[in-house]
Amino acid sequence: MNEPTVFIVDDDLAVARSLHWLIDTVRLRVETFSSAQAFLDGFDASKPGCLVLDVRMPGMSGLELQERLAAQRINIPIIFITGHGDVQMAVRAVQAGAFDFVEKPFNDQDLLDRIQKAIACDAGRRDREAQQTGLKALFASLTPRENEVMEMVVAGMSNKAVANVLGLSAKTVEVHRAKVMEKMRARSVSDLVKMAMQREAWSKA
Amino acid sequence: MLLLALVALGGSLVATLTLLGVLLLRLREAERRVSEKETTQESVLDRLQENEYRLRTIIESEPECVKLQAEDGTVLEINPAGLRLVDANQAADIVGRQIYSIVAPECIESYRENMRRVFAGEALVYEFKAITLRNRIAWMETHAAPLRDARGNIYALLGITRDITEHKQAEEQARRHQTELARVARLSTMGEMATGIAHELNQPLSAIANFSRGCIRRLRSGGMSPNELIEPLEEVCAQAERASDILRHVRAFVRKSESQLKPMDVNQIVRAVIKFTEHEARQYRTLVRLELDPHLPKVLADAIMIEQVVCNLVRNAVEAMVEANSQRREVVIHTRRFAAQAVEVEIADTGPGIDATVIDQIFDQFFTTKREGVGMGLAISQSIVEAHGGRMRAESGRDGGAILRFTLQLSEQQAHKRERADSLHS
Repeated sequence: MNEPTVFIVDDDLAVARSLHWLIDTVRLRVETFSSAQAFLDGFDASKPGCLVLDVRMPGMSGLELQERLAAQRINIPIIFITGHGDVQMAVRAVQAGAFDFVEKPFNDQDLLDRIQKAIACDAGRRDREAQQTGLKALFASLTPRENEVMEMVVAGMSNKAVANVLGLSAKTVEVHRAKVMEKMRARSVSDLVKMAMQREAWSKA
Repeated sequence: MLLLALVALGGSLVATLTLLGVLLLRLREAERRVSEKETTQESVLDRLQENEYRLRTIIESEPECVKLQAEDGTVLEINPAGLRLVDANQAADIVGRQIYSIVAPECIESYRENMRRVFAGEALVYEFKAITLRNRIAWMETHAAPLRDARGNIYALLGITRDITEHKQAEEQARRHQTELARVARLSTMGEMATGIAHELNQPLSAIANFSRGCIRRLRSGGMSPNELIEPLEEVCAQAERASDILRHVRAFVRKSESQLKPMDVNQIVRAVIKFTEHEARQYRTLVRLELDPHLPKVLADAIMIEQVVCNLVRNAVEAMVEANSQRREVVIHTRRFAAQAVEVEIADTGPGIDATVIDQIFDQFFTTKREGVGMGLAISQSIVEAHGGRMRAESGRDGGAILRFTLQLSEQQAHKRERADSLHS
């Protein structure tokens, strides 16, 4: 598993360096960028972690970067750092999906806690995504016939009922069913039902 | 009689001065001729006396102080108005004495220089501070001309002097008023910029807090050697200095001070302003774009005052676009060379522009198009620019929007350098 990285984007180099110095104390990897554009150009979306972002920056602002990332379906959690009296902006950012925000000057523990939470959230999301892709691959490996059998088994039909509906022998259904269980790496029918329910949930989301 | 009529009509000091000079010259001339010929002709003497009497009458009744001075500063003659002016009771109080006895010490040197110039043949107008015989302090203005004899030798200074103390005081008051007005305008600008300043100060403060807390955490966990503390502590010091620089800047901005013209980088002034107005611009979704010529020579400017001008212009632009609800809100600040001896700063916006019917009034005091404007911003800005020897103009852009431009003179050093460079090229 990749080690999580805290990405800091702040045009104020001193502030960026000081954040780096602070976050170092909890032994997290840190990468700093001096502008939103530099981050877009140099950031590797496959790396897990979170983004600590100054709301105000010359050129592309933090909010714009958030929009750009959302448009590219990059879901890294963002913690906004806002200046004095920018609460409105922060609210906008959170409404647009930001993970959290801290107001300057902030408490160090507060920021570090939020960073840890954001990283945990990102890790959870990445796990779920990995599961999802894995499960999709499993479902994709079924033949059309196996898929039909799987749907019916999940719906609670007996082998005999399936055989009747599909006009197959009970023996053939038995073979298909064993193949489905093997391909789906399901230990029991209830495992299979769970997987099917998850797929349904994702397709709805 | 003709001469008298002319004096009466003339009115102006210069005309009076010339006439008196001519009269005095004629009188001396006549005296000289009489003595040369040793004539005893009654008619000549009569005419002479008549002339002298006429001249005396003119001088005596002249409401302004008329006096004759010798090259060494001795007062030769002075009229009753002059006696009153210097608080003398009788002619003997001042005639035959040094004019320098009534010139304030700090003005003596320039007074001597003016005397020297008049005796070298120049006609001059000069001001000086006087301390009268009754120790009253008064500002005087003298129109002075050399008096020549028939051979063309300058033998006296003819001066017409008047008390300009009240005028001076009014001038001083107006100047003070202007300074105070500028300060008040700065203060109100400051109030509006407070959020920007707070944001600006928050940066170094945040950095200091982060560096310090990083140190404390490391020290608490025991994994830090004293040597490792040096670098973050240096960062802390640098950020503390940064914060105090910002405060110094703010203090200088608010301070009520006489203008101090120094060679300055215009681009630096513009950048300093943008730092403080950025907040407001962002709040109103306005993009401020800088197109600064990086090769500009230095200008002679009071940085704080010019900052105020740029600040006013940028804020005007932002407010105009907000009030007109302009869709595209952009302020572009250009700096560029202007002719040989100046630099031009241009602030252009994408707002509604300036109505042609009011374009001649926008620099007037109390003229405003803003709902809550006082109408001082542009008036003050223009007077600041003019006090710098520059000019400020306004126009509407071709694609709409307002364009405000002002020029600043190159600092002399730069101008000389330039001249030298030019002469080398030619």
